[in-house]
Amino acid sequence: MDYELTRRVLAEFERQGVAYVVFGAVAVNLQGLARATEDLDVFVAPTRENVERLKSALRAVFSDPHIDEISADDLLGEYPAVQYIPPQGGFHIDILTKLGDAFRYEDLDSEKLDLGGVSVNVATPATLYRMKKGTIRLKDRADAEALRRRFRLPEE
Amino acid sequence: MGVRKFRDVSEMEDTLWRVPGDPELLRAIASTWAFADRILPRRFPPGVYHHRSIEEAKELKERWGDADFNALQERRRKAG
Repeated sequence: MDYELTRRVLAEFERQGVAYVVFGAVAVNLQGLARATEDLDVFVAPTRENVERLKSALRAVFSDPHIDEISADDLLGEYPAVQYIPPQGGFHIDILTKLGDAFRYEDLDSEKLDLGGVSVNVATPATLYRMKKGTIRLKDRADAEALRRRFRLPEE
Repeated sequence: MGVRKFRDVSEMEDTLWRVPGDPELLRAIASTWAFADRILPRRFPPGVYHHRSIEEAKELKERWGDADFNALQERRRKAG
């Protein structure tokens, strides 16, 4: 995972007014627990205008014609999960407009946190806990338990 | 820092947390990610992949992980 590229992507999201929330492992990092990860997970508001802003922001960071393959029709339709792997290939950006039937963009509580001079939207510890506690992967469940303990969240 | 003692291993995990926005946290994130990239660099096939669900996306990620792991094992085997 590339720290500087991640910072640049999120700085561009902010600059271009993308409605997004960082969740997943990068969010856990920004909430205080540094750990390795391979992807930047972002929930984006499910509107055509927002998907266009997202693509414009990615184009500002990566010179990559593949970005044109990210489509609002897909993200707002049958394919609410899109993985974008930049030309460097060292990490991927997972872009979601919904997560199963349980989570939509408007369901996520977020807060602004600093990432090297950029104020970014990050899911709150309670939201991260709710998203991670029911998952199958062991490391997600471990994250959920660590968040619950750190932020003294009620067990669900 | 000298020796620190804990009554339970779970208390040790609590010491890993830092305050959000603290420059020390950001330095820790950057160095952790850089270290992970040095010891096990990941290379994913560039492009855009569309999925009907997050589970589909994770399955593909698992396959990439397996391929990377097998390639690493192969390199180690050849290196003797």
